[in-house]
Amino acid sequence: MTTNTQALSPSRLAWQSFLKNRTAVVGMAAVMGFFAVALTGLLLTKGEHPILNPREVRLPDKLKPPISTPNREAVPAASLPRLGVYVLGTDELGRDVFARMLEGGFVSLSVGFVAVGIAVAIGLLLGGIAGYYGRSRVGVWRLRLLTVDTVITGLIDVMLSFPSFFLILTVVAVLKPSIWNIMIVIGLTSWEGTARFVRAEILSLREQEFIQAAQAVGVPGYRVILRHLIPNSIAPVLVSATLGIAGAILTESSLSFLGFGVPPPDATWGNILSDGKRYIFDAPWLTLIPGTAVLIVVLAFNLFGEGLREAFNPKLRQG
Amino acid sequence: MFTFLLKALWRKLWTLFFVSIVSFAVIHLAPGSPSQIDPMNPSFTKEQLERYRAAFDLDKPLYIQYTLFYQRLFTGQLRSFKDNQPVLGKILERAWNSLPLFLVETILIWCYAFPLGIAAAIKRNSLFDKVTTVLVFALISIPGFYLAYLGIIFVVENFHVDVIGLRTFGREGVGGFYQLMDRTWHLVLLSVLGATAGIAVLSRYVRSQMLEVIGSDYVRTARSKGVAEDAVLYHHALRNGLLPFVTMLGLLIPGLIGGAVILETIFAWPGIGRLGYEAILSRDYPVVIALNFIAAVLTLIGTLVSDLLYMLVDPRIRL
Amino acid sequence: MLTKRFLILAPTLVSLFLFQSYFWVPTFEDQVKGDPGRLTRYISASLGDASILNPTLSADAASSEVNSLVFEGLIDRDLDLSFRGRLAESWKIFEEAYLLVDESLKLSDGAPATAKVLLDRLNAAKRSQAQALRLVQTIELLPGATVTEEVRPPAREKRSQGAQPAKVVIRRPPRLKFTLSEVDQDFFEELDRLLGGYVKRLDPLKFVTAPDPAIAQAVAEERISATEANPVIIFNLRRGVHFHDGHEFDSDDVRFTYETIVDPRNLSPRVPDFEPVKSVETPDRYTVRVTYKRLFQPGFESWGMGILPEHLLNREQLRREALRAGKDQEKFSVRDSAFNRSPVGTGLFRFVEWKTDQYIRLARFHDYWEGPANFKEYLIRIIPDLLTTEVTFYAGTADAYGAQPHQVARLQNDPRFHAISFLALGYTYIGYNMRRPIFQDPRVRRALGMAINTDEIIRYVLLGHGERTTGPFPRQTDYYDPDVQPLPYDPDGAARLLSEAGWKKNGDGILEKDGKPLAFTIITNSGNEERSAIMVIAQNAWRRLGIQVQALTMEWAVFINQRVDKGDFDAVVLGWSMGLDADIYQIFHSSQTGHFQLNFVGYQNPKADELMVRIRQEYNNERQVAMAREIHRLIAQDQPYTFLYVRKNLALMDAKIVRMKPGPDGKPQYLPFVPNKLGRVNFHFDEWVKTPTPVLPPYRSEISAR
Repeated sequence: MTTNTQALSPSRLAWQSFLKNRTAVVGMAAVMGFFAVALTGLLLTKGEHPILNPREVRLPDKLKPPISTPNREAVPAASLPRLGVYVLGTDELGRDVFARMLEGGFVSLSVGFVAVGIAVAIGLLLGGIAGYYGRSRVGVWRLRLLTVDTVITGLIDVMLSFPSFFLILTVVAVLKPSIWNIMIVIGLTSWEGTARFVRAEILSLREQEFIQAAQAVGVPGYRVILRHLIPNSIAPVLVSATLGIAGAILTESSLSFLGFGVPPPDATWGNILSDGKRYIFDAPWLTLIPGTAVLIVVLAFNLFGEGLREAFNPKLRQG
Repeated sequence: MFTFLLKALWRKLWTLFFVSIVSFAVIHLAPGSPSQIDPMNPSFTKEQLERYRAAFDLDKPLYIQYTLFYQRLFTGQLRSFKDNQPVLGKILERAWNSLPLFLVETILIWCYAFPLGIAAAIKRNSLFDKVTTVLVFALISIPGFYLAYLGIIFVVENFHVDVIGLRTFGREGVGGFYQLMDRTWHLVLLSVLGATAGIAVLSRYVRSQMLEVIGSDYVRTARSKGVAEDAVLYHHALRNGLLPFVTMLGLLIPGLIGGAVILETIFAWPGIGRLGYEAILSRDYPVVIALNFIAAVLTLIGTLVSDLLYMLVDPRIRL
Repeated sequence: MLTKRFLILAPTLVSLFLFQSYFWVPTFEDQVKGDPGRLTRYISASLGDASILNPTLSADAASSEVNSLVFEGLIDRDLDLSFRGRLAESWKIFEEAYLLVDESLKLSDGAPATAKVLLDRLNAAKRSQAQALRLVQTIELLPGATVTEEVRPPAREKRSQGAQPAKVVIRRPPRLKFTLSEVDQDFFEELDRLLGGYVKRLDPLKFVTAPDPAIAQAVAEERISATEANPVIIFNLRRGVHFHDGHEFDSDDVRFTYETIVDPRNLSPRVPDFEPVKSVETPDRYTVRVTYKRLFQPGFESWGMGILPEHLLNREQLRREALRAGKDQEKFSVRDSAFNRSPVGTGLFRFVEWKTDQYIRLARFHDYWEGPANFKEYLIRIIPDLLTTEVTFYAGTADAYGAQPHQVARLQNDPRFHAISFLALGYTYIGYNMRRPIFQDPRVRRALGMAINTDEIIRYVLLGHGERTTGPFPRQTDYYDPDVQPLPYDPDGAARLLSEAGWKKNGDGILEKDGKPLAFTIITNSGNEERSAIMVIAQNAWRRLGIQVQALTMEWAVFINQRVDKGDFDAVVLGWSMGLDADIYQIFHSSQTGHFQLNFVGYQNPKADELMVRIRQEYNNERQVAMAREIHRLIAQDQPYTFLYVRKNLALMDAKIVRMKPGPDGKPQYLPFVPNKLGRVNFHFDEWVKTPTPVLPPYRSEISAR
């Protein structure tokens, strides 16, 4: 990276501005906390004999409220919770909600990350091509009528025309819900924003001197895109990715609600929430805990992303 | 300007063509059979299944099915697999039910988003700004169905009145005003819930738009000339800052059909979103395809209208 | 500033307008606010919409609810589950049996079996009151005939496809026709003994001449049988019953309903019930004569099916409708008719309107033959979400709904509601694929069942709203043998059984036999929380025994089409919903184990097979009960399934609903609900009313299986 000509690089400036935004910093901290929880959860709940078993069924202890002690007479000793209490209560089969939330945290996070990863990858690729090679023509045989740019922006237009949630729902229903299908479908239907962004950014960047210099020296196109154009337009992409993860986690929980979410045995916060809502009068914690957890995490991602957006946009940057 | 219109139309037509293909293709990702055939029913023989496939043209090549489908859709002959009713009629009936909801939601969104956004921008960094920011993001971050359940339970438990459906069910032959108010009441909770996300998003836009304008030169000039603060804000800044939002009127159109799948299902509201969901559940493919397609068409119309509006309000754009 | 004021005023005014509407809406306690008519409407909540309002074509629960109110069958079940006449005032069941006369055969004493000899002997035997002929009322001789036909070779033989039609001569011999006062499946067996083995020596192939023996065989099988037993039902119809449009109901409507079902163009799901019917004749306006091809006792119950109005759906009417709709008249069938969205029947309520996914409205039929219902309207409200259904009920805009165990547990002491519970007609089970070597040993299946604590499942998953079951018949019927003991919950005993069967624990605590671990997968369909819970519980229990168990849920269509129907599974959690008859042939008979058939676990037991065939042909209830109990014991012995429990259907209802009859002094008399033998309370639905405040203590079901 060789754009560091000013005293303070734009990213440094943005960072400083970001740190001044207290809500955004809190959001970032919460996002980090969520990462930590999800990773701890993965370590504590994986394998045949995990430290905290989210799959252990204890019927006599079903629907216990948070911080209640297990019924030692009815539950076999081997099945007692490791912590001695049900920190967040138990569900309708007596499974430990704390362990399930820990397990689900990682799955929810991976749904968000993989989906957004797919979206960003497609967005970068198509946006980059449209921006850089936009003027070259493609076509069948000798009829080279369309420019690359027309094709890609056309594709974006087509995708943007559909109501995205309904489209996702349709595709997931047709393909049968599975964790991979859900990630892929969410990814495939949310790349348009990134692509537009990258395209516009590259269109303006390619007129700048350092790119033209690189082209003049004969650096091949893909190298220019990879080494210069994409790194320079990455900031807004990161912003939209952060917001995208929030959106993907929400979308997954909505799909769960409609019965098209990640199927068991994988627990996600979305399906814990939609399973728990049946018992909202009898065991409100089964709804409140995952619901609030989703709210906090998505809010954290949103605040963090919004803070980044303001910081990277010079017009909105705080004085 | 006329050429611009023609160009835009031409482009939309192409997009429309591909939209029609995508809507149709999505359903054929996986092989399916019409819903009236129960695969578990042992009394259906192979021949009867074949006859069914033939009756619904499912045995023909895809491109013929495609043309037949759209031909029937446009001539109003397309019928639902589920109840053999004309698809267009069903969609229109549901759209009619969704219309009041859509109107009230839109009114709520526009009534609340502008004051909130403007106030937040004017009092930037004040406590008010921070609280609304977090609140607004909390509203986008909360799973819609979770909020809906909390809302419904709160109202029904405390006030013992019906909130589900179009009106208090089983109450008939009451005076016109009673009826009007009854219907209004049934709109309240649903439209408030439906509007939350909209208010959140739009108020953020308004806020950042206002911030840009307030920071611009002509506002500073007006201020330095000693124009009263209120006049500066509400006369100069507001008018220019909010002009772009006029174009959003066009983008409202697809909202009519994009529908709230989850909210309409929870509230047993016989609108478009629920129609779509029920159609997906019962594999009523004609309805699913038609809904996706019509939604996309409305989006296209909406963007076209908004382009035109933009041209009218912003004299700089004359293509 | 104007703008500023507007920005503040607009949202305030909008909100005020919206929220003040609250004061115009009725509460649960005050449902008649602005509308006293609310008490004359009964509103039931349904999760799904109806699909087709035609009893001959519908198969789903919501449609059936509407159809049972709008239409009425010839018979139904009384409070004690015995049959009761509805559109039929009375009925008679007897048998007509046919026997071939083959003169070339000789009777045991050497006399030729001519028609005359046979008749003489039989009449003589009857006079001396032979046991075999005790039910015979008349014996007639029917003459034979010879026909020559062109027959295409049977399609199932691929090699002869496209072959020329063959000339076949059928010399149909004379037959003896017996009219029996009751149906007797052993009649020919006893007759054969009386005639010294004559019946069993008859060979239909003799009477067919064809160039190809395969064709002859096929034709003989199809056209001539040595013996034929045709049960006959004579229904005497009720006079003066009218359809909702005023047209009088008569025997043509019954015949027409039957024809609609068996017409292949209508794709009726009821075909299997009516396939054994040979003919439906209408000797006069008020008599229907149904003749069956063979003995099939479960067929009688199917006459409870709603009767369609012939005058609205006959060929001429359909032709006109097709013409109006611009459809192909040849292809237009009852299934296409608009009738299915605006039905006309003879039932307690007449159809008014149907708003898809919103509600179906019925109004009482004033000319109902037994007198009109008390409720003026019956509405079925469609609410797709369980929780909102509950909330709607609290708000008083649904009078009853099918509740979940935890909802009933919470509300069963609330005086505002009736809590109704009754055992379902069906059971939940774990089925083992007996084509898999590990499940072939009955000890293994028994041990797996013993490891599961079913009582705990009933207690905690169903919150007590279920009862154990031990076999394939509904618990409420006499077919169920109450003496069969359920498997004990005994994990140690299960471990011993497994070790007897050769499965020993290895170093890792996993059961092993010949070096192979005991490992399998249990599956069920997604979306059914009860079944997933059982699957997880079973997995847990079996793991404790040292069995490696995988548990998977899959989407219904995949589960059924790709796994269950193809026999590609180890163990499944599933449920059957049953009828009240004793017919379990499709589920347990060894001939039903192919792909896409219902005995997908591959159960085979020759003794049970024979009984399952005989029980369908038995028209005597006592004998049926004896056979059913024997089948029950055999199946319980073999444990093809681990029979778990029968769940209770639960419903909550507004306690303001009671039965009301005018008393002798003309004043209304309020009565409590009376459940039928199944525990259902809506038997007297025509007497139900809703009162402004509860007049009787809330109803609580006190029902146990026996």
